[in-house]
Amino acid sequence: MQRQSAPVTDRNGPAAVAAVDLVKVYGAGDTAVRALDGVSVGFERGRFTAIMGPSGSGKSTLMHCLAGLDTATSGQVLLGGTDLTQQPDRVLTKARRERIGFVFQSFNLLPQLTASANITLPLDLAGREPDPVLLDRLITTLGLGGRLGHLPSELSGGQQQRVALARALVSRPEVVFADEPTGNLDSRSGAEVLALLRDSARDLGQTIVMVTHDPGAAAYADRVVMLADGRLAGEIHQPDITSVTEALQSLAVNR
Amino acid sequence: MSVVLRTQLAGVGRRPARLLLTGLAVLVASFVVYATVLAQQITERSVVGGLSGTPEAVDLVVQQGDVRFADVTAVGRLPGVAEVAVRTEAYVQTPAGDLIVSTDPGSGPLSTVTLSQGRYPTAPGEIAVTPRTVERMDLRLGAGVPVTVGEGGKQTLTVVGVVQPPADAGSLAYGTPDTVGRLTGGDWVDRIDLRLDGGGDSSGVRQQVVDLFQGREGAPEVTTGAQTRLAEARAAADEIDQLFIVVRVFVAVAVIAAGLIVASTFRIVFAQRMRQLALLRAVGAGRGAVSRALAAEGALTGLVAGLTGVLAALAVGHLIPPVASAFGSALSGPGFPLLEAGLTVLLAVLITVLAVLAPALSAARVAPLEALRSAATTGARQGIGVLRTITGLLFAAGAAGIAALVWSRLPGPGEPYNSAETMMLGVVASGGLAFVALIALGPVLVRPVLAVAAWPLRRLGPVGRLAVGGVGGSARRAAAVSVVVALGVTLVTGVLVGGDSIRVLATREAAAAAPADFELRGPTGAALPAAVTDRVRQSPDVTRIATYRWTDGVSIGTMLDAAATDVPVADVPRLAELDTVSGSVTGLAPGRAVIGQIVAELDGLRTGDEVVVGRAGRQIRVTVAAVLGGQAPLHTGILLDAADLTRLGMPAAPTGLLADAAAPGEDGRTAALRSLRAAAAGQPDLAVAVLADQYDQINDALAMVLAVALALIGLTVLIAVVGVGATTALSVVERSRESGLLRAVGMSRSGLHTMLTTESALYGVIGAVLGLLLGVPYAWLAVSAIGLDAPLTLPGFQLLAVFVVLVALTALAGVLPARRAARVSPVTALGTD
Ligand SMILES: Nc1ncnc2c1ncn2[C@@H]1O[C@H](COP(=O)(O)OP(=O)(O)O)[C@@H](O)[C@H]1O
Ligand SMILES: [Mg+2]
Repeated sequence: MQRQSAPVTDRNGPAAVAAVDLVKVYGAGDTAVRALDGVSVGFERGRFTAIMGPSGSGKSTLMHCLAGLDTATSGQVLLGGTDLTQQPDRVLTKARRERIGFVFQSFNLLPQLTASANITLPLDLAGREPDPVLLDRLITTLGLGGRLGHLPSELSGGQQQRVALARALVSRPEVVFADEPTGNLDSRSGAEVLALLRDSARDLGQTIVMVTHDPGAAAYADRVVMLADGRLAGEIHQPDITSVTEALQSLAVNR
Repeated sequence: MSVVLRTQLAGVGRRPARLLLTGLAVLVASFVVYATVLAQQITERSVVGGLSGTPEAVDLVVQQGDVRFADVTAVGRLPGVAEVAVRTEAYVQTPAGDLIVSTDPGSGPLSTVTLSQGRYPTAPGEIAVTPRTVERMDLRLGAGVPVTVGEGGKQTLTVVGVVQPPADAGSLAYGTPDTVGRLTGGDWVDRIDLRLDGGGDSSGVRQQVVDLFQGREGAPEVTTGAQTRLAEARAAADEIDQLFIVVRVFVAVAVIAAGLIVASTFRIVFAQRMRQLALLRAVGAGRGAVSRALAAEGALTGLVAGLTGVLAALAVGHLIPPVASAFGSALSGPGFPLLEAGLTVLLAVLITVLAVLAPALSAARVAPLEALRSAATTGARQGIGVLRTITGLLFAAGAAGIAALVWSRLPGPGEPYNSAETMMLGVVASGGLAFVALIALGPVLVRPVLAVAAWPLRRLGPVGRLAVGGVGGSARRAAAVSVVVALGVTLVTGVLVGGDSIRVLATREAAAAAPADFELRGPTGAALPAAVTDRVRQSPDVTRIATYRWTDGVSIGTMLDAAATDVPVADVPRLAELDTVSGSVTGLAPGRAVIGQIVAELDGLRTGDEVVVGRAGRQIRVTVAAVLGGQAPLHTGILLDAADLTRLGMPAAPTGLLADAAAPGEDGRTAALRSLRAAAAGQPDLAVAVLADQYDQINDALAMVLAVALALIGLTVLIAVVGVGATTALSVVERSRESGLLRAVGMSRSGLHTMLTTESALYGVIGAVLGLLLGVPYAWLAVSAIGLDAPLTLPGFQLLAVFVVLVALTALAGVLPARRAARVSPVTALGTD
């Protein structure tokens, strides 16, 4: 196995996070599913990348492996030069806490914590104080000012997702992963969240990797990576709805 | 199979842990209920067996009337009678003191003794003696004993064996009916014990026996063995009925506790169920189909779990007597109470069906979509509704009302009191209502307790804060778990406080009645010859000799004909244990006296008051130095200083002496007894009482009660711990999504583990605090209501230990589920719905 690989680079310099020959097999024997079949891809620092593909193409699996939430069968995941696949759970935990942020489809806030406690949760766990300037700015940008003392059950879906976004951003992680963040939102709230993601890449230089199957959502990204049957199937730079839809359709035809 | 039932079963297949846990709760509940029923039987049988002299094999008893040796043969010949044993005894004088010779078959089910040495007597003139008799009366194996019977008749008996009796008074021998018949010289016997053929018709045989004595003047009574045993036990210990009430109260409470546990376990499954049912309803499943499917599932779970629980309890119950006998205590087996077993299983089925149907009914009431939405947040819902608040307050008011009623009717000391059963029922009813109130108001009560208890935890960093948040954030769940712990703690507290009260009561009675190992005295008030006292003082076998004076015919205030003594408190260490209501026994001095409770109550005397004591026409005024919780020592009403007793005209010569054995153990006691008897030799009026034997008896009875209490405590703790374990496990299963999220945002495995364990420990803390707050007052109320005049005590260290142990156990109950949750990969957890 190749331990020392050359840093994966992209047009804009070294990647914030990258997959090298990543393979993920679920199950064994007859029922084995090759969810990722040798994926090599890099995600540039400070950019907003969308991962697209038909349902079951391995988008979520790729994201989980990139984020150190799941272990790969083979291959490497490089986060700022560290190979996450080689790390014990303790290091992965620390990486998730300090270097990675998450936004999930189903909000995933802790029901018993207030919005503000949910936002600072990863920092709390790391025993760090939030950067007050950044926190203020996030709360203002995300329009959460009046909602900080509320419990998740007292917030709308859009508000909950914005809280989750603030939580992901407040620790200034190297990468923010978002898995279908607009899947459970109405179109207006969805558009707001997507705009916020785009702005944080643009204004804060935040690296963002978003999984989606919605061409409209992908159009907010700087770049779209296409996935089909666990393999890379092309990419689009500066996408718009038309180009993404066409690419998706050609994927469907090729199958 | 209907689609709905199939869906349910598929759900069970997918998440077997959920069914297992709810099933486990029902199983444990049935186990505890049935085990308590068995414990009741073990207790009642053991207590009765320990206190009555009638063996358990005895089916019928013929006694109290004109019964003769000839009748024994006649009764034995009746059809259906398997075996008879005649019981009668003779009092004879030996050179070493009085000896009681009783009949006993010597072996078989009707025998009350077990042979430990030599052989059992078979021929006339042969006797077997008890071990203490061997020591105290020096009757060795093979010795010939010259005895004097009745009016000077002389016989010689031969010791051929040593037997262990049920209770060894130290002057007991056993022989054949022939031997005893010759000693009594009469034709009469005390009673005949009958054992019937197995499966025989006992009332038919009883009628035949009654017919046999028909027409005879003074025809004896024919009672069943059970009646006789209970009557004998009652005669031996007045407290027996109260003990039984307490044990039955435990059965009732166990049923309530079991219901609570199951309810609280199911409550957590509700949310999950609601969601699933709402979905089924949303896609068009009929209400009837859903209900039937659920009822079937519930009935099956209840039946399997209930049966398993009952069988497990039966196995454990029948294991207890052999295990106990290995540890040297004799306990009876519990038998096979089938009716109770059936009822327990029925209860299990009923509770399970109801618990499973309840969410279905709620799901049917709300719109399917509403149910789908609310189900996701049920666990975190805060506060309680107005209706629930009102219900809770009503129940609390009811509990307080009944408690107040019981309180107002408590008996004064020494007052006649025969409503213990009703009063205890009141206490139990009030406690039950209080618990319903606790369940209803729980979510509101959790917060203040948590706020105090969690203060140090919050300081421990994010994991502690999250644990507190996890408990406080879902007050309903926390309340559901804590109530179970609270119930357990309440019961344990009740047993401890009650046990402590009884222990103090027993020590107090022992200190007053048996302040030393031996008492040597003559007839009432007669002076002890100085020579005897001197001989006792010179004996190396006795120590702590204290002479005293004792007199009756004393008036104390308005009380006439009381007894008084001047036993020197400083010389008799055990008197320091005398329970004082106020003041101190060491305050005794010339002009200052210690009075018994009854004397104090009669005139409303308190420490510092003056009272006039009179005797033989003289009167003195003394100040009350202390009021005792019971009688004054040596069954008197007042303990005076020696100078005061002299002022009342009492001669200076002591009337008796108290002494302890110099050496410990049975040998020391025997040596001391012999030298006291030797000192009193030639003075037929003087009697030596072995107070130490009484002390031992009280201690034995106490150990027995304590063993029963411990067994019941064990069951209570079991149900509390399993309740917490099941609930914690369920809540972990239900919250795996939260666990996944915490792991995803960077909580370490050990952090998650610590957090979940801390949460369950917090449930323990909340429950234990609530339990102590309820348990101590109710225990005091129960102790007062049972009418034993026992003091109210607060065994602080024991209660602290209960608190610590319960919290540790609840934390422990959370360890396994927490470890499971921490192991799960974040992705799996996040995917769980
Ligand atoms: N835990 C799992 N066990 C087995 N197979 C899985 C598991 N998770 C995903 N898969 C399979 O892996 C493939 C990719 O899944 P996923 O990454 O979730 O796809 P996407 O997110 O693109 O819809 C699918 O065929 C899916 O069935
Ligand atoms: Mg997916």
